[in-house]
Amino acid sequence: MLWIISSLVFILLRIAPGDPVDAILGTRANEFARESLRIKLGLDKPLINQYLEYINHLLHGNLGISLNTQEPVKVIISRALPASMELAIFAILIASLVGYLIGFLGAVKQEGKIDFFGRLFGISTYALPPFWAAMLIQMVFAVLLGWLPIGGRLPPGLSSPPPLTGFLLLDSLLNKNIEVFFSSFKHLILPSLTLGILLSGIFSRSLRLNLEEILKKDYIEAAKSRGISDIRVLFKHALPNTLLPILTIAGLTVSSLIGGALLIEITFSWPGIALGLQEAINQRDYEVVQGIVVVISSLVVIISIIIDIVIAFIDPRVSY
Amino acid sequence: MFKKNYINNILKLSSILLILLQLSCVQNKRRENIIVASAGKIESLDPAQANTLRTIQILSALGDTLYKINKEGNLYPILANGLPKMSKDGLLIDIPLRENVTFHDGSIFNAKAMKFSLDRFMNIGTLNYLLNDKIEAIQVKDEFLLRIKLKKPSSSLKSLLTSVNLTPISPNSYSKYKDKFNNKTFIGTGPYFLENFSSNQQIIKPYKNYWGQKPLNKGIDFINYSNSSTLFGAIKAKEVDVLISNSIDDLQRLALNNMVKNEKLNSGQGEPLEIGFITLKSNKFPLENKTIREALSYTLDRELISQQVSFGIRKPLRSIVPPQLHNKELSPWPKYNPNFARFLLKKEGYCETDILTIPLTFRSNIPADKLLALTWKDQIKRDLSDCIKITLNGIESTTVYKQLSEGAFEAVILDWTGAYPDPEAYLNPLLSCNEIKNNTCIKGEAVFSGSFWGNNEMQKLLEKSEELEGEIRLKNLLKVEQLASTGSAYLPVWLVNPKAWSLKDISQPEFSRDGLIILKNLKRD
Repeated sequence: MLWIISSLVFILLRIAPGDPVDAILGTRANEFARESLRIKLGLDKPLINQYLEYINHLLHGNLGISLNTQEPVKVIISRALPASMELAIFAILIASLVGYLIGFLGAVKQEGKIDFFGRLFGISTYALPPFWAAMLIQMVFAVLLGWLPIGGRLPPGLSSPPPLTGFLLLDSLLNKNIEVFFSSFKHLILPSLTLGILLSGIFSRSLRLNLEEILKKDYIEAAKSRGISDIRVLFKHALPNTLLPILTIAGLTVSSLIGGALLIEITFSWPGIALGLQEAINQRDYEVVQGIVVVISSLVVIISIIIDIVIAFIDPRVSY
Repeated sequence: MFKKNYINNILKLSSILLILLQLSCVQNKRRENIIVASAGKIESLDPAQANTLRTIQILSALGDTLYKINKEGNLYPILANGLPKMSKDGLLIDIPLRENVTFHDGSIFNAKAMKFSLDRFMNIGTLNYLLNDKIEAIQVKDEFLLRIKLKKPSSSLKSLLTSVNLTPISPNSYSKYKDKFNNKTFIGTGPYFLENFSSNQQIIKPYKNYWGQKPLNKGIDFINYSNSSTLFGAIKAKEVDVLISNSIDDLQRLALNNMVKNEKLNSGQGEPLEIGFITLKSNKFPLENKTIREALSYTLDRELISQQVSFGIRKPLRSIVPPQLHNKELSPWPKYNPNFARFLLKKEGYCETDILTIPLTFRSNIPADKLLALTWKDQIKRDLSDCIKITLNGIESTTVYKQLSEGAFEAVILDWTGAYPDPEAYLNPLLSCNEIKNNTCIKGEAVFSGSFWGNNEMQKLLEKSEELEGEIRLKNLLKVEQLASTGSAYLPVWLVNPKAWSLKDISQPEFSRDGLIILKNLKRD
């Protein structure tokens, strides 16, 4: 699968109009300057040679060097990926907390006020355009109220601690730099809250629907008829059986978040991998685009495998 | 019981509010450095690689150039110790250098260091073709005397010496980077040294051994945000002190200008260096017909377009060189006159039975381009619907640049900022051509700009201007522009001033002639 994806990206980038030499030199450079750079970047070689070299490097864990900055792609990704993961983790936490709570309450007290507003919330957040929601939240909480920073990962003037893990919150704690910890936490609130709220709709809807269905099952009726209390039936018999579909949805959401929170990263100037990918595409930096796509694809595959293993562990009917 | 719960809730809510207020207080504490925000990351601080306004802005504070251009448009020495002296045959330029100047690493600035920097730029610089086409060799004549040997006489080279890309760097610190880029550090001679660098944030501090006038502030923090709304919000929320206008949408520029009128912000404006124009492809039907191109040049209602697109912020322009570079107002392109346009089109057989269709391409990632395209289309529909029909096509800018020289666009909206403040930096990239056949450019800059229009007389004038100096040279370049207007392969639309807004406790931003903010003059009250 990874081979197919990496080959497809390689081919599509070469087919797409635009050229890294143009992006670096501009269109005004003379033919000699363009040719020299082309040779320097290895773009003068036949496409098949470039491809074989790329696959060979990939097999050896070498993602190449950025055409634009001459920096190893590994370094670029190791700087941007933790920022995206930090954002994704917090967003998932918020989405789980809000979404599952609303979904759970809605399923338990169906057709009540909470259920009605919960469903409305689920549909609204699902339908909201992310960039619009992000800008609105930014305008209210950062510009009008001035409670939280407007964007970025740290305030101006404050430097990141030496990167141990790349996760700013963790690194600041490991370096005992409380100022950076609080500042980075403040910067994380708005983007993760926006992303979390937007995702919570899917979470609440999935939990509510699954729980509603399970509550209608015969074994739930049977449990109730044996005199088991409603709370015990809910937590012991119903809720664990909703875990499977919810785990699958959560897994897919995490995977998509790592590479897909582009609009949130752009709006909040969050220096994550999606923003990096967008910039690399604009600059036609083939190596960086290929590297990022391969890393994201690998993560999606890894997360899917983990989810499958967890499901197999939880559900005795599943075996490999 | 109810009352107790009520009080508990009030207390909880108050605590949350208190925490949030506390957070916002921390954010607004008084800053020592001045925070300057703009759009776009900086991936490299190497002057040999710098090609974005943001990078050039920082490099202008970290380094000095040999010369600068004053408000009157004349060269004045910075790191040079006098004006360049040219030999009689125009092939040798001697530049005396300032003494007692040190780099940020403590080493001495001299002719060897300057030669090292120029040679390095000519070797690896991404824009090295600008020098390589003109310079034969760089020689050290004395410790503080540099000689440039030219391939052919070039009067534009002097203006080129004001380019930030030619900022000298310390040979000591760059010895390992002779033939490769040094992206993360910079060792120059400027009023500031680089304290911290990341692609999202750069911190610069005053250099205490600086030879010239010292900065009026305690340092500058540069930060970047990825979009116009965030930049606008950042200055409104007072998170940043100064906002640079590149990538700020026109609607937000208007809002910022209103804040200046209401005395909530200061603002400063530089001389306009960016021109917006429409390129017409002159080598294929129907725009190979000069009369049709001329007719189109009468159809642009620049005043209306300026108002509709930018609320009058972008000034209407009828030349392809910013007027101040000619030292006089010059508008060789015709004024809006739909009746005359109709007359010309009728002469070519259009209007009565045949409607001329022009596919207009705009860069889809540039909001002003899209608005210009829509406005011109509607304006033509209003005034000349019986003669012309404009169809629109939005394409991402990188693709547009790539396909320009392939002749993919009949008409395309573009912009241009000269590499240095000189008419030649506008005329040459748009008009010069190495091989002309029947007014069609086969090889040269006019191909890269997508017009494919060439004119032998104009080409001769362009070449001649390299041998001329002063007023005679400017007059010669004026003639070039007048000839270009008769060819109508370009339709100039507007002029954009570089602008910056600052908070009230920061001094008004000042601009140099090359459109950059003079950072050392920024001061906190």
